Amino acid sequence: MGLLRTLAIRSVNLIIILFAVLFAISYALSGPAAQLLQTQIQLEARSLVSQLAKSGHYTPTQIQDLYNSIVQQLYKAYGLDQPAYIRVFYIIYNMLVFNWGYSYFPDVYGVASGKVSDIIASALPGTVLLDTFGILLSAFIGVQIGLRSALRYGSRVDRAVMYYGAVSNGLPQWWVGILMLLVFSFYLSTIRSPIYFPSGGILSPKYYSMWFASPLSVFTDPGALADLLWHFALPLATVLIANIGGWAYFARTVALNTAQEDFVTFAKMKGLPDGRITGRYILRPSAPAILTSILLGLPFIIFGGFIITEAVFRWWGLGYVYNLAIFAPTPDLPVIVALTYASTLLYIALVLVLEVLYIVLDPRIRSE
Amino acid sequence: MAARREFRILGMTPGEIWRGFVSTTTGKIALAFFSIMVAFSIYALVALPPNFGNLWNTPSYWQANPKYAPPAWINFFAGDAYAPQMAVRDFNFTAGSSGGVGYAVIQFAVDDSYAQPWRNLYMMVRSPAVYNASTVAYLTVERPDGKTVQLGPVSVNSQFVALGLSPQIISQVSSFYQSNFGVQNAVPAGSSAIPYLFYTVRGGDLVPLKGTYRFTITMYSFSGNTVLNRKDLGVVLEGEVYGLMGTDFLGHDLWLGLLAGFPIDLAVGIITAAIVVTLAILIGIVAAFYGGLVDEVLTRITDFFILLPAFPLLIVFSVLFQWSIWDAIVFLAAVSWGGSARVIRAMVMQIKSSQFIESALAAGAGRGWILRNHILPMVMPYTLYLFVVNVPGGILTLSAINFFNLAGAELPTWGNILAYANEFGALTSGYWWWVVPPGLLITFVAVTFIFVAMGLEPVVNPRLRHA
Repeated sequence: MGLLRTLAIRSVNLIIILFAVLFAISYALSGPAAQLLQTQIQLEARSLVSQLAKSGHYTPTQIQDLYNSIVQQLYKAYGLDQPAYIRVFYIIYNMLVFNWGYSYFPDVYGVASGKVSDIIASALPGTVLLDTFGILLSAFIGVQIGLRSALRYGSRVDRAVMYYGAVSNGLPQWWVGILMLLVFSFYLSTIRSPIYFPSGGILSPKYYSMWFASPLSVFTDPGALADLLWHFALPLATVLIANIGGWAYFARTVALNTAQEDFVTFAKMKGLPDGRITGRYILRPSAPAILTSILLGLPFIIFGGFIITEAVFRWWGLGYVYNLAIFAPTPDLPVIVALTYASTLLYIALVLVLEVLYIVLDPRIRSE
Repeated sequence: MAARREFRILGMTPGEIWRGFVSTTTGKIALAFFSIMVAFSIYALVALPPNFGNLWNTPSYWQANPKYAPPAWINFFAGDAYAPQMAVRDFNFTAGSSGGVGYAVIQFAVDDSYAQPWRNLYMMVRSPAVYNASTVAYLTVERPDGKTVQLGPVSVNSQFVALGLSPQIISQVSSFYQSNFGVQNAVPAGSSAIPYLFYTVRGGDLVPLKGTYRFTITMYSFSGNTVLNRKDLGVVLEGEVYGLMGTDFLGHDLWLGLLAGFPIDLAVGIITAAIVVTLAILIGIVAAFYGGLVDEVLTRITDFFILLPAFPLLIVFSVLFQWSIWDAIVFLAAVSWGGSARVIRAMVMQIKSSQFIESALAAGAGRGWILRNHILPMVMPYTLYLFVVNVPGGILTLSAINFFNLAGAELPTWGNILAYANEFGALTSGYWWWVVPPGLLITFVAVTFIFVAMGLEPVVNPRLRHA
């Protein structure tokens, strides 16, 4: 019973967050963004009308009427004739049913339909690939390093791990990506090295259609898969360099704290062999805290630095689409807003799944 | 009179804390880094003009600088290959007027020992009276090989006269090569003629001619009564390399830009952390101290903010509202206090349930008295630690958002410099001086605060003190 109640409270919390985000962006859209839309509609109508006026078949009053009716119909189509509070709900409704509209600048993304939902759907697999793989691998390696270093507390290796961990916590992951590109893409190809890495992208252009049609099919074609791995090498290396240190530092701290617990001292006093003390009395009790942190930290990491890292590598994921939408000739509002909603949705789904997993794994929460 | 109570924080006097802090290696590094950071910030505030932000966005202020130029010190490694930027200051100046025509003669000499000579020559005219007065200039260059190049007349009709690309100068330099070396069209179409003043022809190829070049610029002003003053005139030779840190796509001096980033990034981190810690203390203490329904509500609110995806929201609001960097800081701080508040609440809860509070209550102490005398003194030192811990997050997040050219694109922050580097192909053209230093500085400032926090850890976590 307690388990269900905990889960219910968490889900309600997450749904409240989703709606709060949704409301905030919808409200922002219905206010200042509506002004932008209005001026754009007026400009568009004026250019249409002025072309008609040049043809000379219309009187000025007819032109004015035409202008008014075009503006009015467009206002109606965009819901601008409604009061602001109704528009907010209208936008929320459209967001909820995935009716995210069309991009202002579809050419930028190379997605034929120009539908925002299509653009975002095509970017999702890239994000999933880089982020899950990158984080899990770096967490695995980092935790191994951290625990080993904690067992050799005070040694030179341990100090090195500690400083690397501290530095990597302050290292902008995307800048590491820039350095990797500079060294392993630009300089390696400048000196005509036989091995060099691409300057970005998720695949070579010839495989784009394959990826857009079905990312899974890329994994079955050996040529495409090799190409994907070639493009994947630098982003993955970047993620590992920037993240392993943080995990190692964290795992080391947890293990050191456990090593100071009374039951460890008591085990030592009993004269248990060292291997048994580290295995049973230090590492085993440290595991839940480390696992929790990995699970619950995942969403934060993904929607922090990874967005920018993807943009640096022009990796076809949510982050790169964000980058394109912001730098499109003018900010591409429908895409940016839908991306934020999609990220929130994804983030919340992830948090929920991980919390369920966590509750199932950790008996202490269940009995609460 | 009672003996003065000794001031202690968590059982340590300030002196003990200080000695403990600097006795560790981490503490020493942190102290060194922190001093360097503060020194650079103060130097930046003193050395840069107060309106530097505006100057940064005034392209004409930087127009005499080379674009995409590496730092001058690469000559150490490249064997003096590249001519550095040179603003000619110690020129001989004579001026006068005869028959209603004002004239001025500027003479200077430069030593050319570079494989890649200067890109261009600019005349800066700081007085409208001069460039509105139908002024013309002639340029004579005596080369080390005894030959003389005569250029001009060039009309001096703006504040900034670039000689290299004027068709007249190009054809004059070409004809110099034609008549002296028999080389046709020495200056390729579309490129500056100035580098060719420093070349000679050997075996049919253009090679650099090293030695001393004497420049004479003679100016005539034809509208009467115009007096040419030394202080109104300047000459700049545009270099292949520039200054300490090179330049970017607009010729910005990156050294100045990086310097300006110090106080901005420090302010970003400190303001964010200050707001976060203030909110966290207020909410954490109120929740734990009052308990009951207040606690329940505040804990829910805290959970809400902990889970809120701040970064995507920061992006979308920065775009929709065209936020400045300060708006973004306030927003970021307003949504990221959750974790710290949770820690403070847990701390206060633990203190509240301890036995000395029970005894104080039994002795008749009021709640306010307990808050002032027991809870705040134990929580406050920890907030300093929380403050330091929260600084790097603010700096890293704001740098990331600046890298998208949002929230303060008008300021020379390190994130913005990197944004423009990425946009203008620094990665595909290998402009390392444009991308390595800004990122290094972001890391440096973030790591400084992380090291300070590591040094403070034994103070706030007594279990680590004698480990």
